[in-house]
Amino acid sequence: MAQIEQSSGGKKKKGAQKKMSIHVDFTPMVDMNMLLITFFMLCTTMIKSQTLQIVLPTNEDVKKEQQSQAKQSEAITLILDTEYNGDKPAVDAETGKTVHNIYYYEGIADTTFSTNAYLRKEQFIGNMNHEAQGIRKILRNKNEQVMKEYEQLKNQWKNKEITKEEFDKLAKKNASDSLKTRPVVVIKPGPNTTYEGLINAIDEMNINQISRYSIELPNHTDSVLLRHYEQVNGETIIRPTVRAKATQAPAAAAASESTNS
Amino acid sequence: MGKVKIKRKSTLIDMTAMSDVTVLLLTFFMLTSTFLQKEPTIVYTPSSVSEEKVPMNNLVTVLVSSADKSGKLDDPTIAEGKLFISFTGDADSTLSSEKIRGMMLDEAVSIYNDQHKNNRITLTEAQKNEFRTSNMIGVPFSELPEVLSMSVTERDKFMGDMTNPRVGIPIDGNKNRDQHLNDFQVWLKAIYNVAQRINNEQAEGLTAEERSQLSNLYTALMRKGQGIAIKADKDTPFTTVQMVFDNLQTMKLNKFSLMTALKSENEPTN
Repeated sequence: MAQIEQSSGGKKKKGAQKKMSIHVDFTPMVDMNMLLITFFMLCTTMIKSQTLQIVLPTNEDVKKEQQSQAKQSEAITLILDTEYNGDKPAVDAETGKTVHNIYYYEGIADTTFSTNAYLRKEQFIGNMNHEAQGIRKILRNKNEQVMKEYEQLKNQWKNKEITKEEFDKLAKKNASDSLKTRPVVVIKPGPNTTYEGLINAIDEMNINQISRYSIELPNHTDSVLLRHYEQVNGETIIRPTVRAKATQAPAAAAASESTNS
Repeated sequence: MGKVKIKRKSTLIDMTAMSDVTVLLLTFFMLTSTFLQKEPTIVYTPSSVSEEKVPMNNLVTVLVSSADKSGKLDDPTIAEGKLFISFTGDADSTLSSEKIRGMMLDEAVSIYNDQHKNNRITLTEAQKNEFRTSNMIGVPFSELPEVLSMSVTERDKFMGDMTNPRVGIPIDGNKNRDQHLNDFQVWLKAIYNVAQRINNEQAEGLTAEERSQLSNLYTALMRKGQGIAIKADKDTPFTTVQMVFDNLQTMKLNKFSLMTALKSENEPTN
């Protein structure tokens, strides 16, 4: 292949020239190419990051009557917390994931504590044994009507009845269909929550097709509820903030505390 | 007895085919690759099921550094919450990253000087050029002239040191949109102003094509919320990230995106 043969052709004459063959050695070329490939492989990103879109309300003062009030039956509040082991987030030995706890209640906060099991604890488990588990199950049940149609749409898409674009459009319309009973979720990351905890919570909203959710800081009522939960269950949830830095930030953040839940 | 002549076998291996293959591979990598952007610190983003890709063009990235993971520091949190900002323009158009950075820098410096009448900063043309060509910047405005005078390697070393209090864009809980802006808010205001100016078509000295590119940038930044991406570590406390959210909210940039890695979820069958 890498040689050029020069055959004299015709009859062999006496004292014919010797067959000349020129070999080109490609080994250095291959070496160089390999080096270049290695360089490109190390310097490139194959996997691009994903993004989660988020829209925060404006900072401007909104009059009380302009605020949309959610129906009591539709509201669900999730108070997030991350377990710490020393100054690092605690990791579950089995799954290798950080342990995030969710304390949730439905409707308006009941500070009279007529029932003991008012605040309930859940975790981000996701799907197990082909069924939604943990907080996903609760949110899924809350958003049953939307999810039912969403599953139908998904099946249609899987059976190639509708295209991906149509599916996306219909799913979006379905998620914000005001004729259906849809929950309003308030996500309240506690002072020890990590960024991952918040992302997990927003992710659950996307998975369960919940279009109405907001992110707020826990207020006094939430602390009262957590304290009560601690007393009933003998657990410690309210701990001093683990990170020194974290104690500086809430002072600024507390101002945006809103009570419209 | 006849002599047995052993034929010498040549050990040459024909490398042509091998060379062909490597050239093909090389072409593949060259065509599909996007280069890793140089970042002063490594963060591991949390994962989500969102399938939306980070846009390639017209993007402002805000990087939030994580606590030190090497375990060498007594207080790992000292490295936490440092902010870095990078601007990416449209590589395929006349409005390149360099131009965007130049516009943002001019706007930000003028806002900063307006806010700090006693400690104005002035940048030379050479320093501005340095800014246009560097990807990520994370120093207070007061340090900008000095940092931009450094050589690239020096600057990378300077910004890579997370324990240095002079590294990272300063941020605080200021809620006032007009006064006492912190350095991060100055940058955000510059982004907002540039985007607004584009929308009002007041950008002078630009060709029609550049103007249409600018309006793409405006849409990305203000309308779709894809223009600003926050990149933070999964173990960073929420309160640190909340500070960035709060500042964005104060500066009327309510729509933005959070960078995440892809997570696959096994579907429930019911």
